[in-house]
Amino acid sequence: MKDTEPKADVWQGTLALMALKTLETLGPLHGYGIARRIEQTSGDLLSVNYGTLYPALLKLEQEGYIASEWGVSDNNRKAKFYKLTRAGRKQLEKQAREWERTTGIIARFFAPEGRS
Amino acid sequence: MTRQLRAGVLRLGGLFNRERRDRELAEELESHVALHVEDNLRAGMTPEAARRDAVLKLGGVESIKEQVRDRRGVPGLEHLARDLRFGARMLRKDPSFTAIAVLTLALGIGANTAIFSVVNAVLLRPLPFPQSERLVLIWATNAESGRTDDVASYPDFEAWRAGSKSFENMAAFTTRGMILAGGDQAEDVAAVQATPGFFETLKIQPALGRTFRPEESEAGASHVALLSDGAWKSRFAGRVDVVGRTFRGNEETYTIIGVMPPGFKFSPNEVEQIYTPLVRDPSRGHGFLRVLGRLRPGTQTAAAQAEMDVITSRLAKEYPKTNERVGARIVLLVTAMVGKGRTGLLIFLSVVAVVLVIACINVAALMSARSATRQRELTVRSALGASRKRLLQQLLTESTLLALAGGLLGLLLASWGTRLLVALLAQSFPIPRLENTHIDGWVLLFTLALSLVTGILFGSVLAVPAASPDLNEVLRESSRTATEGAGGRRARSLLVIAEVSLALILLSGAGLLLKSLLVLRNTAPGFSTENLLTVDFSLPKNKFSNTIERSGFFTNMLARVAALPGVRSAALVADLPLGGGSDSLGFHIAGRPDPAPDGAFSASFNIVSAGYFHTMAIPLRAGREFTERDSVGAPGVIVVNDTAARTFWPGGDALGKQITVPGAGDSGTLTVVGVTGDVRQRSLGSAPQPEIFLNYAQPGPAWPWLVLVVRTTGDPAALTGAIRNMAQSVDRNVPVSRVRTMDDVLSGTLAQPRVYTLLLVFFATLALALAAVGLYGVVSYTVTQRMHELGIRMALGAERGDVVWLVLRQGLSLTLTGTVIGLAGGLAVTRVLTHLLPGVQPGDPLTLSAVALLLIGVALAASYLPARRGSRVEPVVTLRYE
Repeated sequence: MKDTEPKADVWQGTLALMALKTLETLGPLHGYGIARRIEQTSGDLLSVNYGTLYPALLKLEQEGYIASEWGVSDNNRKAKFYKLTRAGRKQLEKQAREWERTTGIIARFFAPEGRS
Repeated sequence: MTRQLRAGVLRLGGLFNRERRDRELAEELESHVALHVEDNLRAGMTPEAARRDAVLKLGGVESIKEQVRDRRGVPGLEHLARDLRFGARMLRKDPSFTAIAVLTLALGIGANTAIFSVVNAVLLRPLPFPQSERLVLIWATNAESGRTDDVASYPDFEAWRAGSKSFENMAAFTTRGMILAGGDQAEDVAAVQATPGFFETLKIQPALGRTFRPEESEAGASHVALLSDGAWKSRFAGRVDVVGRTFRGNEETYTIIGVMPPGFKFSPNEVEQIYTPLVRDPSRGHGFLRVLGRLRPGTQTAAAQAEMDVITSRLAKEYPKTNERVGARIVLLVTAMVGKGRTGLLIFLSVVAVVLVIACINVAALMSARSATRQRELTVRSALGASRKRLLQQLLTESTLLALAGGLLGLLLASWGTRLLVALLAQSFPIPRLENTHIDGWVLLFTLALSLVTGILFGSVLAVPAASPDLNEVLRESSRTATEGAGGRRARSLLVIAEVSLALILLSGAGLLLKSLLVLRNTAPGFSTENLLTVDFSLPKNKFSNTIERSGFFTNMLARVAALPGVRSAALVADLPLGGGSDSLGFHIAGRPDPAPDGAFSASFNIVSAGYFHTMAIPLRAGREFTERDSVGAPGVIVVNDTAARTFWPGGDALGKQITVPGAGDSGTLTVVGVTGDVRQRSLGSAPQPEIFLNYAQPGPAWPWLVLVVRTTGDPAALTGAIRNMAQSVDRNVPVSRVRTMDDVLSGTLAQPRVYTLLLVFFATLALALAAVGLYGVVSYTVTQRMHELGIRMALGAERGDVVWLVLRQGLSLTLTGTVIGLAGGLAVTRVLTHLLPGVQPGDPLTLSAVALLLIGVALAASYLPARRGSRVEPVVTLRYE
């Protein structure tokens, strides 16, 4: 439930960002596809629990960043497809910028002495 | 922000249509697994491995569903809704428990609501004056007499007003009767005399005309008056041109300067009709004023009190003779107005609080018995991962649900009971604003708060231990036929003991009040009340300024009344017996030194006419009573009562002895000519005091009023009209203020104890009934729990009697423990109520043992019913359960 661990929120945020990015890159996609993509790009981060993606997707949908509808997969399987909305695209840009800034700061912070 | 709002709205929406959404999620997860399996198959896994891998990687489906559900809706709300639904279902499942619990709580909450609505109307609701919370009464206190609500003298009032800075305004007033002449018959009405500034302090404007001017309170100033709205409408037909008109009051002419608005009323008892300016009385020793003050905004009562203390201690130094022991005490006006009724209300408030506590304990005990059987359910929930918080929440929701239902029903009971209560209290003594009692927003709020507190209180008594079950133990214990742990049993025993002892405390109080009332009822007043009519007169002071004029009027009237058909005899008395008291008289006994250098002998005194003792049927112990021959010119004579004779002449030779009373008789020397039986002069509850009877026909202290007592042959009430007319025909300037039968006077003095007793007996009976229900519930539960054991016992040859005794013993031991504690508590509590219990010792052993036996009897009956059920067990049936 909610009170499992403090880092869950961070993880949820990261996961959401990765999902948005995935949808931007690959276009409309079902949950399994998003999970697979994140696993491939992030290595082992999501290797155990694909399931944690679904609450994150619901949250994004409620916030209006993504929309969902039932469709048919490449090999003719019924699946729920998610796609990025305009708000989601904007949100992704904003988040990406923030992410770059944060990583920049952190990178400088951890850079070896004397090189800055 | 808007995103969050949007999400919030969607989540609220998520509370609905849950099943469809759940289904959709399940489908989505299913398709997820299917897609994964296909991928795995393509990667060359065997079908089994492919599926296993897909499911493993997805993670716990139920946990995902739970997380999604939490995200979809609002978890707190949903849990509450679920708990409410579940709680309601649990309560519906066990209707007899629910009915008993709701009814119990309704009685407890209803009783509190009813009493509170009276307290609210009388004590809490602001008085009908602007910013009335700043209005106070300033009583004089007298360390010598111990009085804390004494009247102040005019010079003291002036010093208080001049010396204090805490008050925006201060005024003094007194209530007096005023004899209104005019019309067919003079009338005695209530009137307020107040200093200018009185209405300004109250911030009330007259509806017509103006208030008093400062110069109008000076002695000899022209007489002005304000009318109450009632007097204006009844006496002056509500005429607008009434200002400037005159009327005769107390033998003087008054000019009307204004009319007060409707509803304005200041005197707590009789409704006053006239307001006149108070004339300054320069005597510092003469206390007759009540002082009204309006505190400045922001000034605390304590600060004003400190200031008054400084002023009074200064006055004590300046005027040691009159003011040495005089202080001042500030009381909120709203509190002072209620007076005597306040104690009674507060007592009843605490009594109903105890009833509610008993009701709570009762429901807690019943719920605890029930929750023991539910222990298994809770344990299973806990084992399945329900947190302690969730379990607690669920149990509290249930108890609060019960309490709210009880509160709702209690409100219904109260709305009906309040009317009854008001009618009853109105009989006891005048309580201002009692008639304003109704259920308003505050009362509703009180009931709601009380219900919530009640629910949480009795809920947490059980929920806290129940919500943290020891999984191992409970599961092990309940693997056999569910018997519960020793903890629950002990808790329940304590609850029942508490309940029984509280009930006994109330019962002791009720028993003692009842006994006191019975003692009072059986107290012989010392005279016969049957067929006796009493008529109160007030004599205008100027017209009847001396003994000869007064006795002339009364002799004339007595002769005419005695001649009326149906009248056996008639006489006069200044202070009617049972009338609350009489003045005391200092005197010297001839040939004996005074008891102290500066103090004479002292006794109550009363003034009576010839034939008084005969008319009242007060027995003569020795000598004779006054006759017509004991007139102005004859030697001064007195009659004393038994107690006076024994106190002052212990040798039994009072007859013929002489006392001297300054100013009485011809020479101040009076001879004892008779000794009569004792009479309850003050009240039935107070023992007779030494009393000396003076003869109204001989010179003595001034007595501006007299009561005519008439012994009739038939129903005295039938003579009321005739006697009123008779008095009128003797002198139309003398008002008849009251005509009552002596039986009415007697029952009037018993009204307050009767009302108190009735209420307390009612609440104590309620408490007893609740305790019995609680005991029944707990014993009955135990029997259910022990069915199996009882079955074995019977199978092994136990008799029915043995089984009954086995069960009874449990109820009895709880009751006896509760009785011992309750008796100790009852002794302590009733000691506080001593002043309410005339004629009874607070620890009266007879009463206490009677109520204890009653309690034990009821308790035995309450445990016998389940015991009998236990003894009717068919051993075979219970054993088959195994």
